[in-house]
Amino acid sequence: MSTSASRGVIDRQGNFYGGVRNLLAVFVYAFILVPTLIVIPISFGGSGELSFPPRVWTLDLYGQLFSSTPWMASILQSLKVAVITTIVSMLIGIPASYGLVRFEFPGKKLVMLLLMSPILVPVIVISLGLYLYLSRLQVVGTTIGLVASHTAYVVPFMMMTVMAGVRKLDPALEFAATIMGASRSTVFFKVVLPQLKPSLLAGALFAFLVSFDEVVIAWFLTSPSTTTLPVKMYSSIQWDISPVIAAVSALLTALSFVFCCISVLFQPAAPSDGNP
Amino acid sequence: MNARKEGWIYVGPATLFLFLVMLVPLAYVAYTSVTNAGGDFSLASYHRLFSSDLFKRTLGTTFQISILASLCSLALGYPIALHLARQTPRMRAIYMVLVLVPFWTSILVKSYAFTVLLGRAGLVNQLLSFVSGSTVQLPMLFNRFGVMVGMTNYLIPFIVFPVLASLLAIDKSLYRASEIMGAKPPRIFFRITLPLSLPGVAAGVLSTTVMSMGFFVIPALLGGRQDVMMSNLVDFYTRETMDWNMASAIGVILLGIVTLAAILADQAKRFGSRPGVPA
Repeated sequence: MSTSASRGVIDRQGNFYGGVRNLLAVFVYAFILVPTLIVIPISFGGSGELSFPPRVWTLDLYGQLFSSTPWMASILQSLKVAVITTIVSMLIGIPASYGLVRFEFPGKKLVMLLLMSPILVPVIVISLGLYLYLSRLQVVGTTIGLVASHTAYVVPFMMMTVMAGVRKLDPALEFAATIMGASRSTVFFKVVLPQLKPSLLAGALFAFLVSFDEVVIAWFLTSPSTTTLPVKMYSSIQWDISPVIAAVSALLTALSFVFCCISVLFQPAAPSDGNP
Repeated sequence: MNARKEGWIYVGPATLFLFLVMLVPLAYVAYTSVTNAGGDFSLASYHRLFSSDLFKRTLGTTFQISILASLCSLALGYPIALHLARQTPRMRAIYMVLVLVPFWTSILVKSYAFTVLLGRAGLVNQLLSFVSGSTVQLPMLFNRFGVMVGMTNYLIPFIVFPVLASLLAIDKSLYRASEIMGAKPPRIFFRITLPLSLPGVAAGVLSTTVMSMGFFVIPALLGGRQDVMMSNLVDFYTRETMDWNMASAIGVILLGIVTLAAILADQAKRFGSRPGVPA
C-alpha cells in the first residue's frame, strides 16, 4: 500500500511539472500559429473595418482579389517564375545531387561549397550581386533574369532533399545494372531516377515554394511589368495595406498547409524521429 | 580516372550555372566595394562607412537585434522542443505540423498579420481594451518591440529542430536512473536534460543569430527608423542613393561577419564533438 502511495506522489509531481511544461508549450504553439491562422478569418471579413471575429462573413475580399488585374498579374508571374525555376533547378540539381553522393573527384569540396553557397550567403548580398551583375548584362526587370536568379537560389534547397534520397539508395543495384551492360545513362534514367521518385517530388515542391515565396531577390530584380506576388505584397504592406492582402495571405497559408502535409507524408522517417 | 570524369558529368551543369549566377555576382560585389565611381581601385567606401554614424549605429542595431531575437527564440523554442521530445513518435509527427506550418508560411503573411495584430487599433490592443475596460493603445508596431516579436516568431522553428535532435539523442536510461535515485523533475532537467541538450542549443542560437544578421523584410515592415538593419542599409544605398560602392562595402562586411561566425561555429562543433567519454 505504501509503495502505491509514494508512487502517487511521484505521479502527482510528474503531472505538475508535465502540466507546466505543456502549458508553456501550448503558449508558444499559439504564438507561432496565430499570425499564420489569423489571416483566414480576417480574409472573410469586409474591407471596411478591422474586427475580429468578423461581424459579417463575406467573400468580398476574394472577389476584389480575383478582379484586380495587378494582383492577378503578380500571382501569374509568381507561378510562371516558380514553375520554370523548379524545372530548371531539377534539370541541373538532380544529376548534381547524384554526382556529389556517388563519385569522388578532385575539387568536390569546392563544388559542394559553391552549390550550397546560396544558403550560406545572406540573401541581401546575393540580391545586390545579382542586381549589379544583371544590370550590367541589361536583364534586370526581365523574367529570364529573375528565373536564373531564383534557380541559383533554389538549387541547394532542392539538392538537400534529393541528396538525402540518393544516400538511401543501394549502390549494388546500379553496380549490377552496369555489370549487365547498361550504359551510364540507362543506369541513371532506368535505375536511379525511378527509385528517387518521392524525394524528387518533395524536392520539386520545396523548390517551387521557396521560389514562389522569395521576396528579397525579386525586390531587387523585378520591374513593374514583372512584379511577383511577394514583391507586390511587400510594397502593399509597406505603403497602402490594402485589405486584399488578407485574402492573398489566407490563400498562401492554405498553400503552406498543403505543402506541409505533403512533405510530412513523403518523409515519414524525418530526422526528428530520433531512431538511432 | 574514369570515376573522376564521370562525377564531373553529373555536377558540371549545376557547377557552371552556380559559377555564373552566384559566384561571379558575389565577386562583382567584392570588386565594386573596392573601386570608386570611376572604376579605379579605392578603399574610399570602407573609409566612408566607418566614419559614418548611420553605419556604426546600424551595425550596433544589427548585432543587438540579432542576438536578442535569437535568445528570445531560444527561450520560447526550448519548451516546444521539450514538449515534442516527450511525445511518442506518432504524436510527435502530429505536433510537428504545428511547427512546420508556420515554418512554411510566407514571411510576408506573418508580417501582414503582425501589422493587423500589433497596430494601435490592432487586435491585441482591442483585446487588452476589452479585458481592462479602458482604451489601451500600446505602441507595438514600427518599433523595436514589433521587430523582436516578428523575428522571434520567425526564428522559433530554427531553434526547435536542432534542440529537438539533441533532446532525442539523450539516453532514456539516464532519466530512469536519476528518477530511481530520487531526483525530482527540476533537478533532472538542470542536471541532465539541459546540459546534454547544449550542443543543439549552441547550434540553434548560432544559426539563428547569423540568420538574423541578414534580415530584411521584418525590420523594414515592422520596425521604425531606429531599427534599420544592415540589409536595409544595403537596400537604401542601392535603390535610394544609387551608391553601389557603399552598398557593396556593406555587403562585403556582412558576408565577412557571417563567414566568421560560420567558421567559429564549425570550430566549436569540432571541439564539442571530441570523444571525451570512453565507450
